[in-house]
Amino acid sequence: MDTKINLNSRFKTACYLLIIIGLITFSYGFFKNPGQTWANLLLNNYYFLSLAIGATFFMALQYITQSGWSAMFKRVPEAMGFFIPVAAVFMLLTYFGVSHLYEWTHKDAIQTDEAVIHKLPYLNLPFFFIRIVVYFSLWILMTTLLRKLSHKEDLVGGISWFERSEFYSKVYIFILAITFSLASFDWIMSLDVHWLSTLFAVKNFVTAFYHGTAVITLIVILLHEKGCYKELNSSHLLDFSRYLFMLSIIWGYLWFSQFMLIWYSNLPEETIYYARQIREGYRVLFFVNVFINWFIPFILLLARRMDQKIMVVKWICIILIFGQWIDMYTQVFPGTVGKSSFSLLEIGCFLGFAGLFALVTGWGLTRASLVPKNHPYLDESLYHHVE
Amino acid sequence: MQKHSIIGVFDDEDQLVQALHSLKEHKVRVEEVYTPYPVHPVFGILDRKTSFTWWAFLYGLMAVIGVLSFLYYTAVIDWPLNFGGKPTNAFPSFIVITIILTILSITILSLFTFSVIAGVYPGKPARMPDIRATDDKFIVMIDPENAGKPIQEVNQVLTSNGASEVYEKESELSN
Repeated sequence: MDTKINLNSRFKTACYLLIIIGLITFSYGFFKNPGQTWANLLLNNYYFLSLAIGATFFMALQYITQSGWSAMFKRVPEAMGFFIPVAAVFMLLTYFGVSHLYEWTHKDAIQTDEAVIHKLPYLNLPFFFIRIVVYFSLWILMTTLLRKLSHKEDLVGGISWFERSEFYSKVYIFILAITFSLASFDWIMSLDVHWLSTLFAVKNFVTAFYHGTAVITLIVILLHEKGCYKELNSSHLLDFSRYLFMLSIIWGYLWFSQFMLIWYSNLPEETIYYARQIREGYRVLFFVNVFINWFIPFILLLARRMDQKIMVVKWICIILIFGQWIDMYTQVFPGTVGKSSFSLLEIGCFLGFAGLFALVTGWGLTRASLVPKNHPYLDESLYHHVE
Repeated sequence: MQKHSIIGVFDDEDQLVQALHSLKEHKVRVEEVYTPYPVHPVFGILDRKTSFTWWAFLYGLMAVIGVLSFLYYTAVIDWPLNFGGKPTNAFPSFIVITIILTILSITILSLFTFSVIAGVYPGKPARMPDIRATDDKFIVMIDPENAGKPIQEVNQVLTSNGASEVYEKESELSN
């Protein structure tokens, strides 16, 4: 059975429209307020990159755990992985905006600021961009490899592709553990160069995994509503929402751990991070962040009956899209822009990137048949039924 | 007092589930099912409802409110102390204790609730129609008086769905 899909022209037009809105906003922003626009570029690029990373991690995890239920959805995270090369381009483009984003690139800081001088062997421009190239080439290499194996499996069949995928998935999550931690240190934590948190990497990684899973679920539900994935039943939904539920708890746990440790130890160089967030206009977002990313999914997905309602899961995923934006916003903006500011610039930049991400993912979905053909667990996934 | 029951023995999980579906179609009331490990579909087929999760949720809610108000009472109202310049209402540091005590409360209270609902207590003799349910067999127990169908028909449904053994048994009602 061939389940290849095509993008209809309405979807493509909508994506192009969003990208054009984004382009206009960015060009207007660079002209009018470059600092804030660079912050937006970093925020949105990191946002959608972490969705792609989270999704590919989800896919790798399914191979490693030999999960049966998710086998038929694996094209969705594979397609989301196509965004990683696009994000690489934008990340390299920040070369032109480093002085707007990172304080440690400023001449006077390098000469006078002791913290910056101490971190100079790691945080210097050549090494920073070398690391970007290393991270992205490893991610692109591994995700392309896993995708190639998966497509080969469709054409040839046999168990060996799955076994090799499982092995490379192990390699991939090992690489990811190191590189994505360092990447979040480099790109986001170094925005506040005097501040540090050892929980920062794992919190950002879980954010990526959490929201990556939410977007996978959303895409699967949307495709189901369009008539693909007819086999999606309440058991699949239960598994998806169990993932979201579990990750909402871990996210809340790590968010709180980071906050609590800093609040309790009360070291000035650490507390400044949260003190500034609460004093400079991020106070509401600070609480909304926890409310949206932890409380809403936790309470709504607590009951099993709610887990299996497609509309509940769909709307939680949609809410989580905003939730992640708020999370990123409170991480990026205090260190770059300072005072909280929300304008059409933020909306336009987000829409532009969202259009690009949708287009890339949609194009990725058309590259192979939507339901894999020779996956060893395919039948288990198609007839997945827990009760 | 003796109790009469029909025991169906299955070797395979799928056959058991199929047989239960078939019994439901024939409107035979199944009294109890014994399996070596949890078989999820059984719960749905037998139409068993449970309020257990709601009790657990209620205990959790009560524990959160109780622990937080206890901590507030001790740390703020009754005996305020200054720890390193922290406010006496050190809410973030209460959370950790709240999580731990909530989990403890839910666990212990759920255990008692389960004991009450299932009627088990330490020293109670095991009520097991066929001891092989602890090994590798799946046991269906039907009360012929409540089954709603004649014994022959029940036996027929069980054997046609792959029961390896069907027999009748007298057991003590009390245990």
